[in-house]
Amino acid sequence: MENRLFQKKRKKWNARNWTVFVVATFGLVYILLFHYVPMVGLLLGFKDADYSPNLLGTLLFGEWVGFEHFTAFLQDVNFWNVMSNTLIVNLIMLLLNFPAPILFALLLNEVKHKSYKKGIHVVTTFPQFISWAIYGGIIIALTDQTTGIMNPLLELVGLSSEENPIYLMGADYIWAVIILSSILKGVGWGAIVYMAAIASIDVQLYEAAELDGITRWQKAIYITLPSIASTITVFLLLNIGRLLSNSFEQFNSLQNSVNLSRSEVLATYIYNLSFSAQRFGYATAIGFFNSCISLILLIVSNFISKKTTGRGLF
Amino acid sequence: MSTVNLSDSKGMRKRTHVRMFWTDWLIYVLLFLFAVVTFYQLWYVIIGSFSNGQQYASGGVFLWAEGFTFANYEVIFRDMQFWTAFRNSVLRTVTGVVTELLFTALVAYAMTSKYLRCKNAYYWIFIFTMFFSGGIVPMYLLLRVIGLYDSFWVYILPSVFSVYNMLIVSNFYKGIPDSLYEAAELDGAGELRIWALIYMPLSKPVLATVALWIAVDHWNSYMGTMLYTEAGEWTITLQFYLKHLINEASSNSGAEYSDQVTARTVSYAGIIVALIPIMCFYPFIQKHFTKGIMIGSLKG
Repeated sequence: MENRLFQKKRKKWNARNWTVFVVATFGLVYILLFHYVPMVGLLLGFKDADYSPNLLGTLLFGEWVGFEHFTAFLQDVNFWNVMSNTLIVNLIMLLLNFPAPILFALLLNEVKHKSYKKGIHVVTTFPQFISWAIYGGIIIALTDQTTGIMNPLLELVGLSSEENPIYLMGADYIWAVIILSSILKGVGWGAIVYMAAIASIDVQLYEAAELDGITRWQKAIYITLPSIASTITVFLLLNIGRLLSNSFEQFNSLQNSVNLSRSEVLATYIYNLSFSAQRFGYATAIGFFNSCISLILLIVSNFISKKTTGRGLF
Repeated sequence: MSTVNLSDSKGMRKRTHVRMFWTDWLIYVLLFLFAVVTFYQLWYVIIGSFSNGQQYASGGVFLWAEGFTFANYEVIFRDMQFWTAFRNSVLRTVTGVVTELLFTALVAYAMTSKYLRCKNAYYWIFIFTMFFSGGIVPMYLLLRVIGLYDSFWVYILPSVFSVYNMLIVSNFYKGIPDSLYEAAELDGAGELRIWALIYMPLSKPVLATVALWIAVDHWNSYMGTMLYTEAGEWTITLQFYLKHLINEASSNSGAEYSDQVTARTVSYAGIIVALIPIMCFYPFIQKHFTKGIMIGSLKG
């Protein structure tokens, strides 16, 4: 065995080897340039790079500050605010937005008329293709105090009044707006992958269960859900890996000066620090911290998932 | 319940009678309400864009436009910056799709070839970048250093190869029968020729899906404009332009263009114009995306 492997390796490269090698290496060089070279730039997080007019010079010759930026972040007056906004919104999203497409797919699966199913799905998937710049604009329009539709609706159920309309884009309600808007935007699209998984379940499973007189509720719980468990696991792991990440475009387009205390998350904080405040070193350090925690979360949850369920991403 | 068999209803002309229980009605109504809410958001902006700005400002719209007018669209279409942004977005989308699709598909071919040595090393180097990145400041620095900052190509070059799409395309390539490859190899066709004349034509479904994903991403993105450009003549994009229009409208909603038009209603017209290309392509996208997701999810 050892010998054969050795011989294989010594085989001379032919034209085909060279062609695919060159092509794959093109890809590799590209990835090195646009993904790994910026990782070298993470060293800015350990350098005195704040307000630096010449970032390249600072990266190469700047003064080392060690972990100063990282300890400064832990003592930042905004630290708890930004971290709690990020974590709480993401945890709520994990509880609501992650299962929503699964529930939606299960409900759609119960629809007996094919065209009705398709129609509902076509309508609910469309918002996924709208940019957050535009969707944010739509949300702002709907929640406007005087011209929006949300206040009259809330008046109907007695939650708001004409004299004292609720400002939904204000700090008190912005989390609800963020969470609901991303459910509305993403649920139809998110359901597709689960619908595909459900479609691939063996029909015989259902037929056998029907002979045993199983109810439709039991069917969903005992057959459909376990059959799509591996798909659910993959997306759960990916979501856990993103506990510290938010859609920058979503938060940026829903953020305003009134709701900033509740809508400032790591993604927007890093942007504001680097491009408004020019604190490049500090922002890089926070970004680095964010990436590391995300990677650790992903690896740990993947490990736990593999140990307990035998399923994982890698 | 056995009448629900959707998967093999094809070819059966006979309409099986569907029995509806109260739970069915509940599910149908719930889904319908959800679809109505989703659709209404769009409808609201459509009727807003056809409304008279003053009348809109006094109480909004509900089911139909207030003081029906095309004035908002006229304002948008007269704005030169709108056309510049529109042109850039179109150019960016077309160029981005063509370059990324070709490059990604080519690398995907190499990555599935049995002739590639050290394939695993390539894979791991590629895949790591899906889970870890340098972040915005190092990227900004890199783009400055290589001279892409505030150039049109900042939208194209950094995204000319996508690892995720490469995995999806190569996954599809793996399903193409080896016998085809071997036959071409016997005939003496080179690797690039086999890729261009056999693999590319056969993978049209996956290429269409990936192309549409790329197109939607390019059309919708505005973060790149904010971070890596000054939003000038060749770098302002439609989404960025709209973002500003919306901000302007919501910060001083009293601003007036004329007695018919306000910043608010003009921004609605802008939103609708930017959505029209997506609405035109949507039926086409819709046909392909389920297939694409299925191909992608096989990867596991």
